[in-house]
Amino acid sequence: MAKATTVPGIRRVKTLGGITEYTLEKNGLRILLVPDTSVPVAGCMVTYNVGSRNEAVGYTGSAHLLEHLVFKGTGKFNTQMGTSMDKLLESKGALVNATTSFDRTNYYEVLASDQLPLAIEIEADRMRTARFLESDRASEMAVVRNEYEMYENDPASALDKEVWGAAFMAHPYHHPIIGWKSDIEGVAIERLKQFYDDFYWPNNATVTIAGSFVEKEVLFLIEKYFGVHSASPHTIPSVYTVEPKQEGQRRVQTQRAGNQVVTVSHKIPNALHEDIPALLMLSSVLYEDKTSRLYKAFIDSALATDVGAYCNQLHDQSLFQASVTLAPGTTHAKAEQLLLKEYARIASDGITAAELASAKRGARVYASRRKDGVYAFLSALNEEIAMGDWTRFITLHEALDAVTRKDVQRVAQKYFVHEQSTVGWSVNAPVKKR
Amino acid sequence: MAREPMNITEHEKGPMRLFAVRTGAKDVVTIEGSVFGGLYMLPRAKQMVPRMATNLFDAGTQNKTKEQLRSSLATKGASMYFSPGGDRTHFYASCLPEDTDFILKLIVECLSEATFPPAEVTNQKKRTLAGLEELKSDTGTQASQALSRLIYEKEHVNYPDETSVDMEHAAQTTRKDMLKFQSMLGQGGLVLAIAGDIEPDKILKQAEKAFSKLPKGTAAETVKRVNAKKPSVSEALVHIPDKATIDTYIGVHVPITYESEDYTALKVFVSMLGGNGLSTGHLMRTIRERDGLTYGIAAGLRGLGGKADGAFGIHATFSPATFNQAVAKVREEISIFLKTGMTEEALQIKKDELIGRYYVGLSTTRGLAGMLHMIGDEGKPLAYIDEYPSLIHAVTVADLKRVAMLIPFDKLSLAAAGTFDIKK
Repeated sequence: MAKATTVPGIRRVKTLGGITEYTLEKNGLRILLVPDTSVPVAGCMVTYNVGSRNEAVGYTGSAHLLEHLVFKGTGKFNTQMGTSMDKLLESKGALVNATTSFDRTNYYEVLASDQLPLAIEIEADRMRTARFLESDRASEMAVVRNEYEMYENDPASALDKEVWGAAFMAHPYHHPIIGWKSDIEGVAIERLKQFYDDFYWPNNATVTIAGSFVEKEVLFLIEKYFGVHSASPHTIPSVYTVEPKQEGQRRVQTQRAGNQVVTVSHKIPNALHEDIPALLMLSSVLYEDKTSRLYKAFIDSALATDVGAYCNQLHDQSLFQASVTLAPGTTHAKAEQLLLKEYARIASDGITAAELASAKRGARVYASRRKDGVYAFLSALNEEIAMGDWTRFITLHEALDAVTRKDVQRVAQKYFVHEQSTVGWSVNAPVKKR
Repeated sequence: MAREPMNITEHEKGPMRLFAVRTGAKDVVTIEGSVFGGLYMLPRAKQMVPRMATNLFDAGTQNKTKEQLRSSLATKGASMYFSPGGDRTHFYASCLPEDTDFILKLIVECLSEATFPPAEVTNQKKRTLAGLEELKSDTGTQASQALSRLIYEKEHVNYPDETSVDMEHAAQTTRKDMLKFQSMLGQGGLVLAIAGDIEPDKILKQAEKAFSKLPKGTAAETVKRVNAKKPSVSEALVHIPDKATIDTYIGVHVPITYESEDYTALKVFVSMLGGNGLSTGHLMRTIRERDGLTYGIAAGLRGLGGKADGAFGIHATFSPATFNQAVAKVREEISIFLKTGMTEEALQIKKDELIGRYYVGLSTTRGLAGMLHMIGDEGKPLAYIDEYPSLIHAVTVADLKRVAMLIPFDKLSLAAAGTFDIKK
């Protein structure tokens, strides 16, 4: 193992698979360094352990709206002074953006290695000094509302929102990441500032640097810029709500012109649970390529125009989902029945050795693709951070490789349970007069 | 910023142009390529044929059943797909390093020996018709096509048929049509780019051997297509029920192709007006960041493939309640940009952005393979990959003002699709 770089005030925690974790001792900021000198670029991503799961009634969508507002400026970097973050970074050719999900919010830059100090300085600055102006909230609210409306244009997206809403009654996965429209429009700037002050602290964040850089220089920069912040003066608020046990199948239906869709979702455990690798293999057998079961059942037969199966990997209990976009002539009932029949076949008969071998080979390709480029690396590692253990980025492949056919059959039997399912239908209904 | 030239290997063999580059990505190989033969080379009533046939290239060949072919891919964890273009048929693949030779041979087998089994043709027809039915309620597609119908003459390759006409053509497509289309494809114009965890010389030898088995093909290099329709201000509103946002396109025909010497300067100009960044595109800076009227607005050059002259177009999504206000604001901001936006400072910022982003784009196997394929497709020398930054750097404010005159901004047409607020 290569000797880890040391810098005063920064403690090395561990190294795994070429990734070294450090802690900024002053404030608890976690640092992950992933050096790769084969590319001429570097990337910086800050992952905050806050997402839509940290919201409640009245301020749903705040994590996402806040993500937009944080781009508006800080005391040092703002449009009025001609030092807006976007301008400084984009004018250097940086790929700059931010994303919000259930469990995390991230901000990132991918840029020429010699510009990395600027990215680190900006990310450190906006961690604690973002400005909150009512005028910015008003204009950005309208931008986010337009984003919300874009999702609403797609019947499948609109249905998915209803399915999560039905599957989770108490846990905040109930509400959409982007929030309810009335909350997007109505949340006050003071509530957003409070949300920022609750969660945007170094001890609730991880800064990851990947690509071509000098490790010691980067650690010095992180200490210099992030070291000005203290740890949070309060305990970071935790989510203690546990979804009550589901007692019977739930069904939802949306009506709107356009595509007709059927989705079937089942409750599954959080991403760190020991059954997740087998569930990932199961999703691969169901839908990975043109030999997969759902492709053959629905696309080869022309019963559907699109089909998919997805094992969500989240911080808390989540959903295993399959969706079918119906071809004309295929009824919702028929699609639902056929989908459940494929599930039942796996639960009763298991999968073949060839299916498992293909899924494992696919997993190897997937693991490699997660490292193809700085952004791919940062993004994938960031999801593991949000799930609760970044080392899974390295260890997941081994766990997938250890999955057996019996494991896949067992998890199908355990989780594809009628009482734990939520079924959604999007129906092409007669058009409402407007 | 200056960079070391990239270590890319190029082989030219007859009509074939092949590129390979080793990158630092472990266990990853990305392949992108194309051969002559596409929609533009067929009568309009046959243009659904390539769209349907390319979906069946992996549905059985003279030597393999569909099941054998697809299983052979699945067991290697590899992916491969084909797509139709204007003058070319494209293919993409991704695999582990040890399977590269296998994938190259399989691409050749699919391109040259696909058999289009009758049962597969029947099901593909059903899938295509279902997909087209879905497109009828896709606001983005309907608005984009409506703009193209406003600005191109009916005979131009960029003039799209109505979706209902495409459905008629799809319903009439036969297996014989597909076989005839397949006979167009061959070594002619082959461009192949391979990037990733490879040994370039070894892989190019394997590629040459594999692709030399392709027949000659009947498709030939294409000629320029010129739009004769005069620009005029026109409007098309496509009503689609139950939509929460309106996809909007504003544009006009521009009489240039990729080969034009004005192309690079025009690209810089369009990016200054409507680039994606929050700060470096005038429309994003004003319509989104200042006014909050959209989530995204972007200007671009469209329809320039295959030596066809294309168009300038702006795309945005607007709320039905503010649609008219937003469109008026876009027109106003274009005027402001033309009067005050083309400054030395703004140009320098844009150049730095484009050059920086170019290098970021080349840092993945997909980005690198895509760039090499573009070089081959557009007939540029390999040195272009290193020269591109200097071409951007050479653009002047005078160039911007000259190329801005190529776009008749007083003749911009509007096409939009969604559920319109009839009270407005």
